[in-house]
Amino acid sequence: MKQKTAVKIDDLTVAYNYKPVLWDIDLEIPEGVLMAIVGPNGAGKSTLIKAILGILKPIAGSVTIYGKPYEKQRQLVAYVPQKGSVDWDFPTTALDVVKMGTYGSLGWIKRPGQKEKKAALEALEKVGMLPFKNRQISQLSGGQQQRVFLARALVQNASIYFMDEPFQGVDATTEIAIINILKELRKAGKTVIVVHHDLQTVPEYFDWVTFLNVKKIATGPVKDIFNDDNLTKTYGINYKVSIQE
Amino acid sequence: MNSAQLEIQLIASLVAVACAIPGTFLVLRKMAMISDAISHSILPGIVVGFLITHDLNSPLLILLAALTGIITVVLVEYIQKTGLVKEDTAIGLVFPALFSIGVIMIAKNADDVHLDVDAVLLGELAFAPFDRLIIDGTDLGPKSLWIVGTILFITITLLFTFFKELKVSTFDKGLAASLGFSPAIIHYGLMSVSSVTTVGAFDAVGAILVVALMIAPAAAAYLLTKDLKKMLTLSIGFGIFSALLGYWVAHWLDASIAGSITTVLGIVFLIVYLFAPTKGIIAVLYREKQQRTEVSLLTFLLHLKNHDEISERHVKHLNEHINWQKVRSKTVLDLAQKNNMITIENNIVSLTEKGDEFTSKAIDYIITNEDAQIEDMKDDFFLFRG
Amino acid sequence: MDITEYIQLVFTDYTLRTITLGTAILGAVCGMLGSFAVLRKQSLLGDAISHAALPGIAIAFLITGAKDTNTLLVGALVSGLIGTFWIRGIITKTHLKSDTALGLILSLFFGFGMLLLTFIQKQPNANQAGLDKYLFGQAATLVESDVWLMAIVASICLIVLLFFWKEFKILLFDADYTKTLGFNTKTIDILITSFIVLAIVLGLQTVGVVLMSAMLLAPAAAARQWTNSLAKMVFLAAVFGAFSGVFGTAISASQNNLSTGPVIVLVAGVFVVFSFIFSPSRGLLFKQIRFIKNRRDLQLHKTLAFMHNIAETHEDISHPHAIRLLNNFQGYTKSTLQKLVDKNYVELNGNMWSLTKTGFKTAANLYTKQSIEDE
Repeated sequence: MKQKTAVKIDDLTVAYNYKPVLWDIDLEIPEGVLMAIVGPNGAGKSTLIKAILGILKPIAGSVTIYGKPYEKQRQLVAYVPQKGSVDWDFPTTALDVVKMGTYGSLGWIKRPGQKEKKAALEALEKVGMLPFKNRQISQLSGGQQQRVFLARALVQNASIYFMDEPFQGVDATTEIAIINILKELRKAGKTVIVVHHDLQTVPEYFDWVTFLNVKKIATGPVKDIFNDDNLTKTYGINYKVSIQE
Repeated sequence: MNSAQLEIQLIASLVAVACAIPGTFLVLRKMAMISDAISHSILPGIVVGFLITHDLNSPLLILLAALTGIITVVLVEYIQKTGLVKEDTAIGLVFPALFSIGVIMIAKNADDVHLDVDAVLLGELAFAPFDRLIIDGTDLGPKSLWIVGTILFITITLLFTFFKELKVSTFDKGLAASLGFSPAIIHYGLMSVSSVTTVGAFDAVGAILVVALMIAPAAAAYLLTKDLKKMLTLSIGFGIFSALLGYWVAHWLDASIAGSITTVLGIVFLIVYLFAPTKGIIAVLYREKQQRTEVSLLTFLLHLKNHDEISERHVKHLNEHINWQKVRSKTVLDLAQKNNMITIENNIVSLTEKGDEFTSKAIDYIITNEDAQIEDMKDDFFLFRG
Repeated sequence: MDITEYIQLVFTDYTLRTITLGTAILGAVCGMLGSFAVLRKQSLLGDAISHAALPGIAIAFLITGAKDTNTLLVGALVSGLIGTFWIRGIITKTHLKSDTALGLILSLFFGFGMLLLTFIQKQPNANQAGLDKYLFGQAATLVESDVWLMAIVASICLIVLLFFWKEFKILLFDADYTKTLGFNTKTIDILITSFIVLAIVLGLQTVGVVLMSAMLLAPAAAARQWTNSLAKMVFLAAVFGAFSGVFGTAISASQNNLSTGPVIVLVAGVFVVFSFIFSPSRGLLFKQIRFIKNRRDLQLHKTLAFMHNIAETHEDISHPHAIRLLNNFQGYTKSTLQKLVDKNYVELNGNMWSLTKTGFKTAANLYTKQSIEDE
């Protein structure tokens, strides 16, 4: 069966202050995969996601979501930024943060109403955070904050989810809860793309993987390409990881 | 030029040097705004000191006021530690409050304190030569000169004695601590020197000029060099230059000397900001433009190396897939051809041997970030000079 | 004139009413917009902008020769905006850090402004009286048209705030995410910054350039302590700001030769100190009390847990044990024991103690409860 392509990246080059971070990336992400992007620190993993989402402007190349540029397909895409990228002391509650996920579909000026609130509560329920809906966000643990972020993305009801290091600084329970939700999303036919740094868990969590280190090293099903050869190419000389079967 | 004029210029220059030294470290330690805070918050200290001593030039007053400066720093750090507000909000809350207390104290004791708030902000450098230090009937020169001179002497002594410690703790706090230099002592030492300098100088040049003299020369110097010794020398040079030129501008305009020195400092900074050889705005913009072309060229070369298919190497592909405008595509193609990196046949682009080799080297460099393999390419490419 | 007399005058005297209304509106606008400045970590930007506005006032005067407030404020607005964008230019294009950029612009613009002011003062034709008030502010010079201007700007601020509330909020919290949702973050950013600059310029006549930034920060910093909702924070900050303005003006008007600026700032400062100490959830006082209470509870729990361990060894949980058994335990004191008795967890009988049923249950629950809290 030929899968549809969810995200197609062509000759993408991105530079921070004109220092290149990503070089000539070609990548096709098929619909319905749960994909990890792995690579060493500074390999450009987060940069790749940010370039796809238009947060960073690439120097060259193009990105299409289901065949059209990102600007036209925003409503199909949800994003979970790195937890450290926001100010957690901001005066707002968990429910409020999740409601922000509805802002995109509302557009300018229009305010979220009952419908949006209901959607937000459902998303909180899904990540097991409903009891904490009125908590100020700084009073949540790292894992809880990450769940709130995930709920915000769920509210967007997108087809493609981009997540930047969702397991960073979260407890084991949350990690399992998050991965279960991601697997559910995949079952529902959604595409999930995760920047990931724990190589040990790749085979267990994901079915698709992209190796990245400035250039694209390899991409494909985990069972075919997650091997020492590609790991070595990505992480440098003789990188070995014990892969659990 | 009469002797009063000479004395004013001498005082101004000494103040400039006394400010430039702690200022350099404040700028390097990202604490420039602390100097602004101190310069405002010493006011209540000065008023209390004045009520006790009735002499603006008394050492006790200087110590009391300097103490207020330290209290400001401690208070700011305490508020930051409570986590109730963000870092810089603490500064923004403390110094206006202390300054307000000072202003109100002056207003309430108007009969006793002959301090004009304008004078606190601006100083009265023009009057400095009239307040003279006379011991046993001998005129030893203006009091301000002695005060600023003493402070400068102490500052320079401390600088030479603790240069190594200051340098290490400024650039690598962790290393400094592991070498046994307490970062806290250096920190509070620097704060004390800044406070004393501010107080000593405020009477002559005013609070705002103290801030300008601390930050502007150091900031200008920082755009020219990263070497600490050179930076200190340059800041001192900028300070003295602005002090002297500023004095004559004020003389010519018949306006505030402090305001005029600050304005000259501003112009000096503006010139450096625009024209500094590598960090100046013009150099930066030029370099960014060069780099954009060079990154584009490399992107293009790398693309050729990655793809053998004819369709990916068609001239038109540049436009259509790499998403560049026509002009940019042409610039890049021309540049590549001029450097013998590519050949074009029937609108199909191929890498030459030289281009191939160059691209491999370049990508190796970018991935490993090791300088060694790229030395000989550096001349051709700005990209690798950063 | 004393305070009660003053309050009476506010309702009868036209001038006083104008001034009070003016400072109240100003305080409210500053509190409102200051909340955004504080949350964006741009607290000191206000300080730089207000100082940078000074040369604009002087130049506007030099060009037009007019004392008309609005003309001078346009000058202030222009030079404040130039200062703001120069600061951004320095931060983005050079390796100088934001503190250096702020300090530079602040001192250099202010010095230049002072040069111009002294220059103006020495001009023979200068009807310059009145420029001085921009240093520390003189609320007494407010006239009805100034208050109208403030009211109009305040209404515009309020309307824009209500319209773009959602956009402001999400940009402040998570800028990158805002971008992915399709909002033009640059537009929102420029909108917020422009309004902050506008508020500062508006306050110069009343509070003055030197202290204007505190007017922006203090109400917001105080309001932040009382609530965890952005809307409530902005509202509270506006209230605090308005009260600071009114009280400050009242005090400075009832005393001789006190500038308005410092008094308003000190009143706002009192709000801050009070909030820092007495806020129920974040305040230092309650934090300290909670800290002490937690430590005591911990000791109590430790003792109870220790007793539980002993009691568990026996079939009958209420079996009495000797008090001296507890002496080996560090957390044990007579007062903790007494407290456990007070709470009805423990019964004393001569030299012996025994756990009650409630005590045993509580002790058993301690572990499970703790592990839930840890999560």
